[in-house]
Amino acid sequence: MAALVCVGDRLASADSLQAGTGTYVRGGFIYASIVGLQQVVHEGTDEAVVQVVAKGAAPVVPEPGSIVIAKVTKVSPTAANARIVCCGAQALEADFSGVIRQQDVRTHEIDKVVMYDCFRPGDIVRAKVLSLGDARSYHLSTANNSLGVVRAKSLAGVAMVPVSWQEMQCPQTKAVERRKVAKVEEA
Amino acid sequence: MGDQGCGLVGKVVAPGDAVQALPASGSVRIGPGLRAEGSYVVAQKCGVVRQTRNGKLWLESKQKRYIPAEEDLVVGTITDRRGENFVVDIGAPFPAQLPMLSFEGATRRNRPNLVAGDLVYARVITANRDMDPVLTCVDAQGKSSGFGALKGGFVLECGLGHARALLARPPAPLLAALGAKLQFELAVGLNGRVWLDSSSCATTVKVANVLQQAQGVAAAEVQQWVAAQLQQ
Repeated sequence: MAALVCVGDRLASADSLQAGTGTYVRGGFIYASIVGLQQVVHEGTDEAVVQVVAKGAAPVVPEPGSIVIAKVTKVSPTAANARIVCCGAQALEADFSGVIRQQDVRTHEIDKVVMYDCFRPGDIVRAKVLSLGDARSYHLSTANNSLGVVRAKSLAGVAMVPVSWQEMQCPQTKAVERRKVAKVEEA
Repeated sequence: MGDQGCGLVGKVVAPGDAVQALPASGSVRIGPGLRAEGSYVVAQKCGVVRQTRNGKLWLESKQKRYIPAEEDLVVGTITDRRGENFVVDIGAPFPAQLPMLSFEGATRRNRPNLVAGDLVYARVITANRDMDPVLTCVDAQGKSSGFGALKGGFVLECGLGHARALLARPPAPLLAALGAKLQFELAVGLNGRVWLDSSSCATTVKVANVLQQAQGVAAAEVQQWVAAQLQQ
């Protein structure tokens, strides 16, 4: 009983079935939210659940609580904008944008954060998704020892080596630059 | 260390010219306009190579394009209000932000009454290559200290070196010579903008012309030249 449905196809009324994954409820009806195969699943004594299972690989989308890798695109005094590149261990095909606000950079002294001493454009950061944020970007947080800058290039264009929680050093020019450095535990 | 008697001190160099070979050991101190590239100290701009008493090499050049640096005093023109900030044109590659609360006595309810076109004398607090510069109209203690809106007057543009010379202590001979004969008020911005005001338009025009044309006059002849200008 697997029918191919498209986004927006009306599947059932909300009274007769429960909405499962890949569906949403609107105006008393259940609609499909992804392209896939419609399935009705009976789980024990509960109502039957209608769900849409993606045909092929399900697209990966960052969820609140997931760890993402992002590349910083712009730094301003109150926030850093970044492009989310990986979600968990999976590289993303679509573009998602995230923003790290001043209060989400670290846990102590959050009102004294100088964004330019934490991130620079081009840095690769490891962050956690706080929420879906606003229409334009996810809200990301680096307020953890294992979150922050993991890769950065110095002004000379050379990959820098972390020296402390706040500093990274260029191996070629020995110049020290300030970043919010992540200490990623090797599993 | 490292002063091998650079032969090019006092000579004009072009961008890309090697100024000095880097020694195998020891250190060479270089200042603005020069960069270490490979095994040479290389000029990045056109200018004259100078050396300080301590042996630091630097390049003296004429420049009109202002690159913001922290703690610089600048004359800016407000172009817009965006959010909690004024957007200010200081002649830099990017427009600067001036928070509305960065004025003496400003609160969320009592904001400065400035509009596009107004002039301000401000201090640069944040300047780097990745962000818009940020200005403030208070000093480190929160007092206005000469910063803030400039009413009336006239703004003229000059080279950066000339502006720096006008801010020298003791006062530049040019200003001393002008001040002896005329009465005017002056605010010099290190971004190459000078604000002038005086009680009469004729005086303002006279001073503006003298300041502008003095850029081509040699230092030794300034006094005489100013006297000649003022006599006309």
